[in-house]
Amino acid sequence: MTSWFRGCAVLLWEVGSDDPRQEVFCTKIRKNQVVYMTEYNAKDAEHLHPLIHSHVPSEPALRVKALETLLVEKGLLDSAAVDAWVEVYSDEIGPKVGAAVVARAWCDDGFRERLLADGATAIGELGIQGWAPNHLKVVENTESVHNLVVCTLCSCYPHRLLGIQPAWYKLEAYRSRAVRDPRGVLAEFEVSIPETVRVDVWDSTAELRYFVLPQRPEGSEDMDEQALAALVSRNSMIGTQRDLPIETGGA
Amino acid sequence: MDGIHDVGGKLGFGPIGITSDEPPFHAPWEGRMFGIVRSMARPSDWNVDKFRHTRELEDPVLYLTRPYFDQWYKVYACMFVGSGVLTVAELASGESDGTSPEGLPEPMAADAVDGAKNGGASFERPYDAKPKFEVGDTARARLITPVGHCRLPAYVRGHLGKIADYRGAHLLADASAHNEERSEPLYSVAFKLSDLFPEREGSTDQVYLDLWESHLENDE
Repeated sequence: MTSWFRGCAVLLWEVGSDDPRQEVFCTKIRKNQVVYMTEYNAKDAEHLHPLIHSHVPSEPALRVKALETLLVEKGLLDSAAVDAWVEVYSDEIGPKVGAAVVARAWCDDGFRERLLADGATAIGELGIQGWAPNHLKVVENTESVHNLVVCTLCSCYPHRLLGIQPAWYKLEAYRSRAVRDPRGVLAEFEVSIPETVRVDVWDSTAELRYFVLPQRPEGSEDMDEQALAALVSRNSMIGTQRDLPIETGGA
Repeated sequence: MDGIHDVGGKLGFGPIGITSDEPPFHAPWEGRMFGIVRSMARPSDWNVDKFRHTRELEDPVLYLTRPYFDQWYKVYACMFVGSGVLTVAELASGESDGTSPEGLPEPMAADAVDGAKNGGASFERPYDAKPKFEVGDTARARLITPVGHCRLPAYVRGHLGKIADYRGAHLLADASAHNEERSEPLYSVAFKLSDLFPEREGSTDQVYLDLWESHLENDE
C-alpha cells in the first residue's frame, strides 16, 4: 500500500496541476469512507514539497487556518487545546523559567551540583520537566570557560526552560558561524571574551538540550533568589551574553 | 543527507539579525501552528527525525526564506499527505472531503495541556554491548556522504575529536528517520576549532557534538 501511494504522489508530481488525472491521484486510499493510512516515508517529501507548494495558498495565515479547520473537522484536533498551548507559551513558559533555575543554582550549592550532574532530574525539584529538557545538559560558565549553545542542523533548544527560540537562533547566519567564529558571533552581541577564557560551543546534534548556567554577578551577594532571577537574561542562558548587570536585566 | 540544512561552518550568511524583546509568536498564525503541532492526533509511526528529514527536503530557496513556523506547516502538510490522512486538494481548499482516517488516537483536550507541558519522550534505550570508545579516546568523525537523514554535520567529517563524555545509548536518529529503530552509544565529542578551520589556528576554543557510534571510527 505504501508503494502504491508513493506511486500516486510521484505521478501527481509529474502530471502537473492542470492535468485532469490529478484528481484521481489526489484521492486517498479509501473504502466506504474509511481512509487507510500508510507508513510515512520521509523521502517522499522531495516530491511532496513542490506539489503542496504549488497548490496551497502562499499566505502562511491562510495555509495554517485551512490545516486547523481540516484537522478539527476530521476529529484530529481540538482548537481549545491550541488556544491553551498558545497561552502557556505566551505567558508561563519562557526565559523566566530558566532564570528561576539559574537563581536557585546560585543560592543553593547542592542544587547547583545536582543540576550540573543530571539536569533533567534536578529541574524536577522546581516542578519542571519534559518538552526537550528530557535530556538536559547544563554547562557552567567559569572564570576560564564560556559556553555557547547552537544547533547547526536545525533549531534544537531547551523549550521548557526558555520558551520559543528567538528568530536569530533558528536562522542560518547564527547557526553557520557559531561553530566557526564564536568570538565574532559574540562580538555581534557586544560580548568580548578575554583570550584567557576558552569558548566551548555546544552543537545540539542529538536529543540532549544544552543550557548555560551563567556566572553570578558581582555585587549580588545580598540579593534574594527572586531578585537574582530578575537579573538573568535569555541570552545569558544561550551563551550570547556573559556578564549580567545587576542594575537592569531580566528575562 | 548533504542538504541545505547542514550549515555549520558555512560562510556568507551575513549578520545575525539580533532582536531584543522578541515575542514568542510574531503573528497569530505562528501560535496556531505551534499549538496545532503540540495537540493534534498523528499517526504512530511519526517521529521527530522524520519531521527533521522532511524539513531538510524542502526546496533550498524556501528553506532559507520562508518563516520558521511556515516551514513547520510545510513539513506537517507533507507528512499528512504522505501518510494518506489529508489530500493536497483538501489542504488547498481547506474543505474536508468527508473522510476520516482510521486508527488515529484522540487529539489532546484543552484540559490536558497543563499536564502535557511537562511531557515529552526519552530517547535513551537499553544497550547490551560494550561501547566502543572510552572517555579520553581520540576518534575520527567518519568521512561519509550519506543520502538519508544524518546527524553528523559535514563540518566535522574526517576530523579528529576527543571523546569527552558518554551519554548512554540513544535511538539513532539516522535510522529513526527511515522507519528503523536502532539504539547506539552516544558520545559527547570535542573538536578543536583550530583542527577544523584554518583561520582558527592557535585558538583553544572547542566545539562539542553529540555523535553516535556509527559516526565515529578509530584514529588509524
